[in-house]
Amino acid sequence: MALGSPALVSRLLAGFVAATLVVAATSVPARADDPVFRIEFSDGKMTPQRLDVPANTRFKLELVNSGTTPAEFESVELRKEKVIAPGVTTSMVIKNLDPGEYHFFDDFHLDTPPALLVAK
Amino acid sequence: MSSQLGNVVFIIWRESVEALLVIGILSAWLTHQGAGVGRAKAYLWSGVGAGLVVAVLLGWALVTLGDTLPEETQQAYQATVVLVAAALIVQMVIWMRRHGRTLKRELETSLSEAAAQSSWWGVFVLALIAVAREGSETAIFLYGTLSAGSGSGLLALIGAAAVGFALALATYGLLQLGGRVLSWRVFFRVTEVMLLFLAAALLMTGIGILIDLELLPALTGKLWDTSWLLSDGGTVGGMVSALTGYRARPVGIEVIAFVGYWVVVLWLLSTPRSITATARPTA
Repeated sequence: MALGSPALVSRLLAGFVAATLVVAATSVPARADDPVFRIEFSDGKMTPQRLDVPANTRFKLELVNSGTTPAEFESVELRKEKVIAPGVTTSMVIKNLDPGEYHFFDDFHLDTPPALLVAK
Repeated sequence: MSSQLGNVVFIIWRESVEALLVIGILSAWLTHQGAGVGRAKAYLWSGVGAGLVVAVLLGWALVTLGDTLPEETQQAYQATVVLVAAALIVQMVIWMRRHGRTLKRELETSLSEAAAQSSWWGVFVLALIAVAREGSETAIFLYGTLSAGSGSGLLALIGAAAVGFALALATYGLLQLGGRVLSWRVFFRVTEVMLLFLAAALLMTGIGILIDLELLPALTGKLWDTSWLLSDGGTVGGMVSALTGYRARPVGIEVIAFVGYWVVVLWLLSTPRSITATARPTA
């Protein structure tokens, strides 16, 4: 079996295109009635440091970077990773969190202590 | 200020090391094959070059396009990239195992030249993905950090970025040195295990995104919690998880994927093809 033959690569690429199309076709836009929680990033400062969110329900996180340097929302526990350029507001939908505590941090400002999302 | 510079050094080093692990191991491996792989190295470094271009383009697109692409599309893209990279790494390791020791002789006798030729494309794609993935983040980070700095601060930041990259190159150099100092067998074993863990980590990232997209069911809530021992939410644990696929609070599908991955990989590695098994030298 030849590794990474052009046939394999094209199959992988075809799979990529198919997966993208499936997701694009089935993706559900954020619902208007999703509760929204706001987290602000400012050059290594995250506000708030602790955020209470509902467990087992959909909600939206609004990520605002009001600083002058890029920030990266990262949480292995939440399975989320998102780069936020300075001056940009972005959002992510979180579905069905088990009750518990979830750490997240600004991966571009590592001297900041991690912040906490508490699902209840 | 000094802690910010420390951050720059660390982040550049960390982002570079993941890509350089793949490239360094492939390069050391190709070096070891000796004659006949010059062209293979050309594929490798072309992949690195293409990856750098893609990284800058990706970084630019992420900053300027921002949210114009739906979140699901971005996630589907990320999932595909990490899963393709994981598959390529596993295939590469298995291919190395089956052909590595006999490759030079096979090339000399032109037995597997065609197969090797097409396999170099795998080297190219893998280098491209590794560099593009880590490089795009580095590009955004550097662009933003440098544009925010000013005066002497800017020079210090550029210096810190250079130190971070130099450290990453030193790490790469250690890998190359390892291939020369250690016996090939030991070096091969160590790097093979590193690559397989890296592929596991990429697989776990992909699985995580697919769960998030609801294309895979989580199956259970968290099965256990070892975050008291090593939290994957911190800097150290985050790196461990990025290099091994470790999860402090895994759900059912993650455990199945992780265990299933190792079962399949070990099974594939334990059943070499009979031709190469008999042709393989015993020493």
